[in-house]
Formats: sequence, C-alpha cells, structure tokens
Amino acid sequence: MLDSTTIVSQMAQLRGVLLLCLALLMSGCGANQVVVQSQFPTPVLDPLPAKVGVFFSEEFKTHTFVDDPEEKTERSWVVETGAAQVTLWQSILTHLFEQVVYLDALPETGDDVQEPAESTPSQPQVDAILIPTIADLQYAIPAQTNSKVYEIWLKYDVILNNPDMSPISEWSMTAYGKTPEAFMLGAQEAVEAAAVVALRDAGANFAVNFPRVPAVRTWLQENRISAEPVSSGGTP
Amino acid sequence: MKIIVNLTRVAMNVAGAILLQGCVTAKIDEMTYNRPEAGVGASSVVLLGRRHASDYDTEKDFVQCVRQHIQRRDETIGIIQEEAFLDELYPWFEPRTAPMHPSAIKELLGQPAVANKLKELDAQYMIWIDGNTERVDAAGSMTCGVGPTGAGCFGFGTWSDASNYEAVIWDFSNLAEVGRINTSTSGQSYMPAVVIPIPIIAPVQGTACEGIGEQLLQFLSASY
Repeated sequence: MLDSTTIVSQMAQLRGVLLLCLALLMSGCGANQVVVQSQFPTPVLDPLPAKVGVFFSEEFKTHTFVDDPEEKTERSWVVETGAAQVTLWQSILTHLFEQVVYLDALPETGDDVQEPAESTPSQPQVDAILIPTIADLQYAIPAQTNSKVYEIWLKYDVILNNPDMSPISEWSMTAYGKTPEAFMLGAQEAVEAAAVVALRDAGANFAVNFPRVPAVRTWLQENRISAEPVSSGGTP
Repeated sequence: MKIIVNLTRVAMNVAGAILLQGCVTAKIDEMTYNRPEAGVGASSVVLLGRRHASDYDTEKDFVQCVRQHIQRRDETIGIIQEEAFLDELYPWFEPRTAPMHPSAIKELLGQPAVANKLKELDAQYMIWIDGNTERVDAAGSMTCGVGPTGAGCFGFGTWSDASNYEAVIWDFSNLAEVGRINTSTSGQSYMPAVVIPIPIIAPVQGTACEGIGEQLLQFLSASY
C-alpha cells in the first residue's frame, strides 16, 4: 500500500522528468543562435596622413542575419555580427588613417537642407567621410552543400564622401571565411569560426585595397596623401 | 584451465591486431640549395600553411605536426607558431593577401611598419606548406547493436587516404626561393569487426609529416 506522501513524492518526480523531456524537446526547436564575438589582431599598417570621419549606421552596429528554414524539419539561423563588425572596422581604421572621428550622424547634403544654415548640422572638420554598410551575408553548412566546410560570405558597400557629402567614390567589397567540419565542433561554433575568418578577410581586403580604388587613389594624390600600394598575392 | 589459455590467446591476438598499422607508400622529392651549413643559429623560421585554394586548406594540425617534428629533433631551431605570426603581421599574410612569390616580400618590406615587425621577429626562413590529405576511396559496411546481453559490431570497412604536400623555402636574406620538398603518400586502412571493431589505420598524414619534417630538419639543422 502506498500512502499519500509517497504518491505526492512520486508525482513530483514524474513531473520533473516530464519537464526535463519537454525542455529537451523544446531545445531542438529553437533557432541556431550565433553571436560572433572576437578580438582582432592589431593591424600592421603605416597610417595615411588623413583625418577621416567614419559613420556606422544603427543597422551596421546591430547587424543580424536571420535565415528561416524552407522545411519544417530544419532550424532557422540567427547570426549576429554587429559588435564584431564594429570592433574589426575600428581596429582597421584607427591604424589605416592618422586620425579617425566617429560620427553620430551624417551631415546633411545641400539637397536635404530645407531651412537656412542654423538648422543644418555643421560639417565635420575631416578630410573625408567613410560609410561602410553590409550589403549581404550568406552562409553554407555541410548539411546543405554536402561539402565538409562551413562557409560565410560577406558583401560590403563602402562610400567615401567629401565633408559636404559630395561623393568621392563608392565601391563594393567581398569577404569570405570557411572552417572545416571538425569532430567535437558544433555547427554554431563552426559558423562563428567561419564568420571570424570572413571578418579578418574583410579587414585585410579593405586595408590592402583601399588605396588602390581608382577614385580613392586620385583623391589621395589630389590631397597629397602618400599612398604607395603594396602588391600582394599573385601567381606562384 | 583450457578456457583461460584460450582467453589469453584471444586477448593477445586482439592486442596484436590493435598494434597493427595499415601500409603507407611514401614518395619524397627534395631540391634544396644554399643550405645554411651552420644551421639557422639564433634566427627564427616561420612555418605557414597555404589557404588560398577554393577546394582545400592546408591543415593547421599538419603544419603544427611538422613544426613539432623539427623541434623535437633539434630544440635549437626557433620556429614561430603559425597563428602568432599571422596575428603579428595582420593583414599581410591572410589567404587573400599572402605573398605568393619571394619578390612580393621585397615590396612588403617597402612598408616601414611591416619591415620593422619582420626585423623584430628575426625570421631568416619562411617555409610555406601547401597541400592536404583526403579520402580517395571507401568501401564496406558495419552494423552495431545493443541488446540485453551486451553490445557488439559485425562487418568490415576499408578506406584509402592520399596526401600530397609541398614545402617551399624562402630565404629572407636574399629574398629568394632556396628549396622545394614534395611528399606524396597513400595508404589503405581496414576495420574488421567481430563483436569488437579492430581499426588498422594507415598513418598517411603522419607519414607525410615525418617525411617533410625530416627533410626540413636536414636543411635547417647543423646537426643533421
């Protein structure tokens, strides 16, 4: 015979087991959440003698990639890269230019100004304004491609304007990172590792190729900012 | 008594099988010149893997294996760890920006910041390892099960791996290539299973690592 205390105790244990099973089932339904967090190495660059204003939009600073599954059996992916983007770009820019000023807002262009000067934000005292934006992020995991690597592609649009917001140049830049499938490395950790490789690649691509963009090169020459691009890569 | 003898024999056979390794065929080609007769001395060596190809990356653990092989045999050779070097010289040795020929180093040295950093590291040789190990064939099947009386597997699996690596040595003092070492290895691994799976693994990548490490050791060390 079981007394009431024993029954209550067993019911509590059973409830605990059921809750645990439910939690396990629920954990399989959530999205794959990846928050890219990384410290990037200090770039070895000779800074260009220029004072550049940099504007990171809210969208850039909080950049999050969301991919909903096509089939119900798959889990969605949420990849947050915003914080890592800001860390990387700040690291690159502070070493690429002698002076960097981070702008909270962009100065209004002549077309935007509705009223006379008192309502127009003053032009920042800089040589140029740089605005990087993330145009696209794509990923591939072994389950989708049958390959043995996790991959991340990033596409940036970079705008370089004069202080009055008249354009100097606008160009696109890509970055790529991959990490091999590894034993004991979960999909989320692998995607994060691939994102970190892609961000490093983005930094390298921008730092090395910025002075080679034709319009930027002309701007550097016109403003007597020394830029001797160094060739890298090439055929073996 | 007879049962104990049989059990001992089975245990010895299993242990023997575990100790077995699959066969590996290795081929090493070496072409080096301007070998440092007195070794690298107090200078250091940089050992890096190539990762610019779209379809493969030189494995980080392979580069580490070669470094460890050299340093185990001659502790006097200072080899800068790959990740530390890549961070110290970021962004100039990333897959996208890494120099592909020694003359590109000359252009890199035109930048004071890079030149100072390389001088600080005192690297005399830069060795690039390019290649990978891949599974070229696999066959067989194995079934494992768990029952009230125990667990076990039955079946047979076999696979073959192939490695192909090339080490290219650049001399920083005259910014020229001073050697190439190429190693190709292949081997067949087996896994028979009668209750217990017995892996007979061909150490394909390990043999390639030893082969390339030994040749690099002979180039870099004064003692070999």
